[in-house]
Amino acid sequence: MMDTEYGPGRTIPHPVMFRVLDSEADDLSIPEIRVEHKSEFAYYPGCVDYYDVEMQFSHMNYGDTNHGIIFDSSIKLLRAVGIQPMILDRSFMKCCGHDQLWQGKVDVFERMRDYNTRIVKMLGVKTLITSCAEGYRTFRLDYKLEGVRVVHITQFLFERGLRIPPQPETAKRIRVAFQDPCRSGRQMPIDPVFEEPRELIKRVDNADLVELKTFRGDAQCCGVAQMMYCNDKTKGLTRKRMDEAVDVEADYLLTACPKCLTHFGCLHHENKWKPGEERYRYKVMDITQFLAERLPGDWPTGSNIDQRRKEPPLPGRKGGS
Amino acid sequence: MEGPRPGFPRQYGPDRLDHQPGIPLFPQEATRDLVTIFLLVAMMFFLSAFVTPFLGPARSPQLSELIVPDWYLLFSWGLLKVADIFPQFTIGAGTPLKTEFSAAFWGDLLSGIPVIFLLVLPFIDRGRESRPAKAPFRSAFGIAFLIAWIFTSSLYSIREVVAQRWTAPNGTALIPDGTMKWFFVIPPVLVGLTSYLALRRLAFAPMRRYLVPYVLILTAIVVAQAGAIAANPAALGPAQPFFAEILIALAIVVVPTVLTAFFLLRAPESTARKVSTWAGALGLLAFMGFYGAVAYLDRPTALGWVLSVLWPNMNTLVLMPIFAIGTAWLGTRRPYSTYEYLLNECYQCGKCHTVCPVTKVEDDALGGLNLVYNTFKKQHDGVPLWTCLACDACSAVCPLDIQYSDYILEERRKVNAAMAADGGRRE
Repeated sequence: MMDTEYGPGRTIPHPVMFRVLDSEADDLSIPEIRVEHKSEFAYYPGCVDYYDVEMQFSHMNYGDTNHGIIFDSSIKLLRAVGIQPMILDRSFMKCCGHDQLWQGKVDVFERMRDYNTRIVKMLGVKTLITSCAEGYRTFRLDYKLEGVRVVHITQFLFERGLRIPPQPETAKRIRVAFQDPCRSGRQMPIDPVFEEPRELIKRVDNADLVELKTFRGDAQCCGVAQMMYCNDKTKGLTRKRMDEAVDVEADYLLTACPKCLTHFGCLHHENKWKPGEERYRYKVMDITQFLAERLPGDWPTGSNIDQRRKEPPLPGRKGGS
Repeated sequence: MEGPRPGFPRQYGPDRLDHQPGIPLFPQEATRDLVTIFLLVAMMFFLSAFVTPFLGPARSPQLSELIVPDWYLLFSWGLLKVADIFPQFTIGAGTPLKTEFSAAFWGDLLSGIPVIFLLVLPFIDRGRESRPAKAPFRSAFGIAFLIAWIFTSSLYSIREVVAQRWTAPNGTALIPDGTMKWFFVIPPVLVGLTSYLALRRLAFAPMRRYLVPYVLILTAIVVAQAGAIAANPAALGPAQPFFAEILIALAIVVVPTVLTAFFLLRAPESTARKVSTWAGALGLLAFMGFYGAVAYLDRPTALGWVLSVLWPNMNTLVLMPIFAIGTAWLGTRRPYSTYEYLLNECYQCGKCHTVCPVTKVEDDALGGLNLVYNTFKKQHDGVPLWTCLACDACSAVCPLDIQYSDYILEERRKVNAAMAADGGRRE
């Protein structure tokens, strides 16, 4: 039934990563948890670390998509609004299970859900902050976390009144476009995240918010959901979406979902195959990184720059490694 | 931050602001309907003024002991008959504003209540859907009042016939007047609650939260009533010699109810469903067997005396066990094949196909492959199921709010489960 003319690769999820995650779900023993900052606010970074390690175009593999900086930026932003959150680390939390659920592996998802729910309850979390659209949807809708408020980080920052200080006079005006992730937007029957990121972008005084051709509930898909496959068709969708940002002459394409970032970043990186001929001259980044770069102060974990890198990455899929 | 906030529109449900399909009731639909109503009223006025029918002489009350109206007005007659339970008094006596709160007044008021409810109901239940499983409150209300209540009030209008037809061996009525008066309250409420639970379950809601207290309360009432009868045989009067038969009848009523309630409380849903099925079926068989055995075994009066204990308590001892077991079954049963019921709403307007991003890049889809429709109709080779991005663009434009991505999720779950059952090999 599922063998197609495109071959089996068409329907196979990212093989190694998902086998690792699935087998991880079987281990239900709870490791020792060391809590440094006991707080009712908890931040769940999600699986961004896996992306950085696994993806060929990632920052760790000499690409230019930096997923890890989402984590650093989120902590920096939360500190800026006066929150020192507990960090629900991947060392004792499991993956939220979104991809497993949407790949149809409901039993794996349920194991992950029960495990994570137990940890969250055990730590006494009152507010669970996530910087990931899929995490937001999954914790909010697919988990049963009674008594725990699940918020997307942009909602939380907006509600806490994040202030972005005036940018230096020399900073030139930038045009910023925002991609609405499907999971936190039109898939959320309650509290969809549409307005908060836009409000936050407007607080950067040298940024002009521009809307893409399709936005909010009608936003075009970034191309891939639940990491099912990557092929020319999904690249075509990603390209359509990134072309919309070209059409509005954006300088930044922001998103609130690491998956969107992954696929935008992938195409962005691939288009450097021929130097000087890149199609997309704007920067692609997560909204937390964009906001945190405009705040004064250091990054919480020092710098997130890869120490091994001495020169800009070579163009190409392998990144010259 | 629950609930809508200004500037933050909800996206789904009756509160969604981006689009509401259909034509508004007011003023568009209301204008059209009022024109039709006025036309009809004008025609009726014209006919009654110029073409007056001959109605014949009125029927004399002396001719017949039992006066009943046409069958469709029996409920109103029953309400008039029951109206003397309300206090009767007069206010403003001796003044032009004298108002008599008589039984006739209360009866008229009661007959008007269903109409008032019908008028108010659209404002209470503001869902967009009219199919029963999508509008459980409205539907349960309709079943309870327009069917159960009207049936019981019609029954009350012929209370004399009921009292004559079914009697205990000593000639007293098996169903006394008080029991029949309670028919106005207990059966409609039971029917309404059970319908609500069953309809919510039909629409895939987990109903345990409502089901457990409901069945437990019914069981407690049944056990208390049966216990009170069994504990005090002296109160049975002339039925006392048949105490053993009465105890058997009570056990047949109580045991399946208690079993169902216990398993509902303590066991998983699938077990509770099986227990309720078997308890209900065996209880019914046992009751019929008991009925036949007592009637057959040379003691015809015994059955009459047993029924003279059971039937006056019909509201509790007969109806409540039936509704407890029936509701337990309806509330735990599996609905029809998942999502087909919900997807049946689709009328193939094709909006989903227009917005689907996959159709913009997929070669198959350019020639008119509608992922939604083909997956639903199973007219596909498995590609649409796994090509879908679950981005929900289709659901966002769907005029009927079909949650298509939930359906995709369910289908993928089934495929994975089948693969696991085949030892991981694909067909």
